[in-house]
Order: sequence, then structure tokens, then C-alpha cells
Amino acid sequence: MKCGELQQRLPEMMAGRPSLEEQAHLRSCPECAGLVSDLNAIAEEARLLRAAEEPSPRVWNAIEVRLRQEGLIRPPQPTPERVPSFGKRWGWAGWLVPIAAALLIVVGVSVRQPSRTRQMADVQPPAQLEDVAYGGMDDDQLLQEVSAHAPMMRATYEQNLRNVNEYIRDAKSTLAEDPNDEEAREAVMEAYGQKAMLFRMALAPSLP
Amino acid sequence: MGTGADCAPDKRVGLESWEREMGSRKHTAELVAIAVIVAGTLVAQSRKEYRFNVGPKAGVSVVNTYGGISVKPSSGNTVVVNATLYSNKVEVDSNQIGNRVDIHSHLLEGADQNSGRVDYEVLVPADASITLHSSTGPLRAEKLHGDVTMEGTAAPVVADDISNAHVHVRTLNGPVTVSNVENGHVEIDSVSGDVTLRSVTGPFVLVNSTSGKILYNGDFGNSGEYRLTSHSGDIDAVIPDGTSADVSARSVRGQVQDDIPLQPKSHTSFVIKKGSAFAGTVGKAASSVVLRTFSGKIHLKKR
Repeated sequence: MKCGELQQRLPEMMAGRPSLEEQAHLRSCPECAGLVSDLNAIAEEARLLRAAEEPSPRVWNAIEVRLRQEGLIRPPQPTPERVPSFGKRWGWAGWLVPIAAALLIVVGVSVRQPSRTRQMADVQPPAQLEDVAYGGMDDDQLLQEVSAHAPMMRATYEQNLRNVNEYIRDAKSTLAEDPNDEEAREAVMEAYGQKAMLFRMALAPSLP
Repeated sequence: MGTGADCAPDKRVGLESWEREMGSRKHTAELVAIAVIVAGTLVAQSRKEYRFNVGPKAGVSVVNTYGGISVKPSSGNTVVVNATLYSNKVEVDSNQIGNRVDIHSHLLEGADQNSGRVDYEVLVPADASITLHSSTGPLRAEKLHGDVTMEGTAAPVVADDISNAHVHVRTLNGPVTVSNVENGHVEIDSVSGDVTLRSVTGPFVLVNSTSGKILYNGDFGNSGEYRLTSHSGDIDAVIPDGTSADVSARSVRGQVQDDIPLQPKSHTSFVIKKGSAFAGTVGKAASSVVLRTFSGKIHLKKR
């Protein structure tokens, strides 16, 4: 079994038990094993979050800000319960949004593997979820995390984040000029890949 | 009673003598301070060795927040880990499960970049797959033919003499140097670290950077797909005589320069605008080479 095949079967695999073939591949492939381990960690985290009364306001705030930027919700109305009500209305299922977002980014990074490069050229970037996809955390929140855990790295992350965002803007604007430009689409994926990597490094306990 | 003018030479001599003495004392104090620091460091430093017997194609993972990791081939089926710990605020956790060895620097309360530092020298069977993580590095792997994955933020990364394997490197701003890779499946991502490839060939070689420079020096092998992309970093490709490649280069806002007489192509996927793109073949066009940047410069030149 190849990495690409396993990653295509990921949703089914995560829902049940890995087959013998999948288990064999996971034993021999640290990349896929790491990916599955990440997904399991997210699922485990989600179970823990389910037990909480309400999710952290930070998560809802990030989602709300992003949705507002996308024009999907109106500017704040005098209804202070907006964010909590989102959670209440959806109950624990509301967690599927950030979880799905996190899954998107994990899978997004993994499918960037070269064997699938050409296949990915046919996939549109997830325009609505693209920024929510970083674990519900925006750039400022990421920099706050870096400041808290590795203050000496903050300036480095800030500068790199700025550059990566510019990369994303340029790639998206090139794609907007010609939506059929496969290379531009690939550039968008590569730019997002850089940002995902930056977030992953900033949040990895061993890589402050 | 002497005048002030009469006294001045004596005072000057006295002052100079006092300054000399104080200078000497200060120098002595500095030496003592340095000696204390060095002695303290030596006392705090400790070395530990770990050995593991493994089978073919073992997996070895080293996660080290602060400090370097160097991996070389061992002679037998043994993994040997030599760790130099720089204080007692860090421990080494080691674990072997089947054919997999995990080494982890465990930071204790109050550990920082200096006191939490551990330097590892690791010997592994040449066919082992290795995964190395360090924030500061340096990370180095050489003379192996198992898969190599290295990840670090500011860590300089070096991979040398790797064959028939995957080489995956990710850094934030650490520079990456990969050389003498044969039949490699190479993927390098660095946000702002410069990436240098020397004599790196294989079915797939991919480099992606935001602002780091990319230098490829080699012949692009005899088949394979090479894709070097950046946002603002310059891309230089230096090729020798006898190179066989189908090259396309494009800079959206930067310049491209081609010193090689390429055979023009009848069809390209983009419009060739002089000065910002070129495409053509050299030799038998065995490998596909794609060079892309938004605002960097691209330069294809002869070695």
C-alpha cells in the first residue's frame, strides 16, 4: 500500500479500525503513522472538549471573526449571546467545525506529498475555511502563544508570518486572474503549506 | 612645600601605578570568574551512552528541543546514542519498542536554551529510518540509505551522502544543505532559510520556500521531476555539461536569466514573456525541471 492510498482511505479508517494492510503500512511509514497519530490526538482532544460545559471563547471568537470577514455573518448585533448560542445551538456537534478545520489542515499538509501533486491541482483551495483551518487560531493568537512559550522567537515568527501571508495573497491573486491556471492553484497550496508548517512548528512542544 | 606643578609628576606616577594594579586585579577577577563558569559548566555537563540492538530497517527518532543531533552509520545492527547534557535540568528519555528506538530530551522545571541543551551523536545501521527534531540544531545526517526526516525551526540542517531514500526537511529559518543524494525522494520546506542542493538527484525533488534562496548545483539526474519554488527568494540552478532536462522558469514579478542555450519548445503552459520566463530543453530532456517564483530572480547557468 502506498501513502496516497492510505490517505484516501483515512476517513473510513478513522471511523473504524485499520485493516491489516493499513496496519502494515503504518508500521513501516513514519509519515503516515505520524499523521494518524495526529488525527487520533485531535479526536481524543475532541472527546475531552465534549466533556467541557462550553468551549473556550477564543475558539468561537476566532470562528466568528473569520465568518464576519467572509461576510457570512453581519457585524455584531446587540446580542451578547451570539457566540455561546452558536455552541448551544449545535451542542457538542458544534465542535465538528474546529475539528473538521483541524483535520483539513492536517490532511492538507499530508496530501501535499509529491506523488499526489498533480491530483491536488484539481482540488480547489477551501476558500471559506482556509484561515479557520489553523485550529481556530488566528495570527495574533499564534504570536501570543509564541510570546508565552518562546519570547525570543516572536520577532522571527512575526516576520515569517508576514512573508507567508504575502505569499498567500500573491498566489491567490494570481489564481483569481486565471482560475484555470493549474500552476497558480498549486502555488496557493504551496503557500498554505508554508503557513501550516509555520503554525505546526510554533505550536509543537519540541520546536518553540 | 612644593607647588601643585611640582607635585603633578608624582601624582601621575601614583595614579598610573594604581591603575595598573587595579587593571591587574580586574584581570585576575575576570580570569577567576571565567574559571568558575567553565568549571561549573564542566561539572554540570555529563555524558551518557545508550545502546540498542535492532533489526533491519529500524526506526530511530530523536526529539531534542535545544541542541544538535548528528547521525552517522554504525557498523552493525546497533543503535548507539551518545548524549552530552549541559545541566541537570534536562534528562534523556529512551525507549525501544520492537524495531523502533525513541530518544527524547525531557526538559525539567526552569530549563532554558542553555541549561536544557543536549548534543547527540547517534550511530545507526545505514538502512535505518531516522526522524530528528530540534529547535536550535544543528541537525546532521550522513552516509545513510534509510529515510531521513529532519525538522527544526532555526536549526541548520545538513544531509549528506544519502541514497535510495526519502529525505524530508522542514525549517522555519534554519538553512538547509543537502548534498550527494542519489535516487532520493527529496522534499524540503523552509519558510526563510536558504536551501542549497548539491548533486541531488532522484525521481522527485521538491523545494518550497517563502523568502529563502534556493541553489541547485547538479545535473538533475537522468529522469525525475524537480520543482523549486519560492515567493521572494532567488533561485539559482547551476548545471554541468551533459545535463539532460526540460526546463521551465517563470518569475511573476522578478527577472529570469538563462545562460544556457536551450532548445525552444513548441508549446508551454504559460506565455513566455522575455525577461520573466523561459522554457526549453537541454540534452535529451530526461528530467522535468520547474523553477517558479513570484518576486525572486531565477538564474540558470553553466557550472
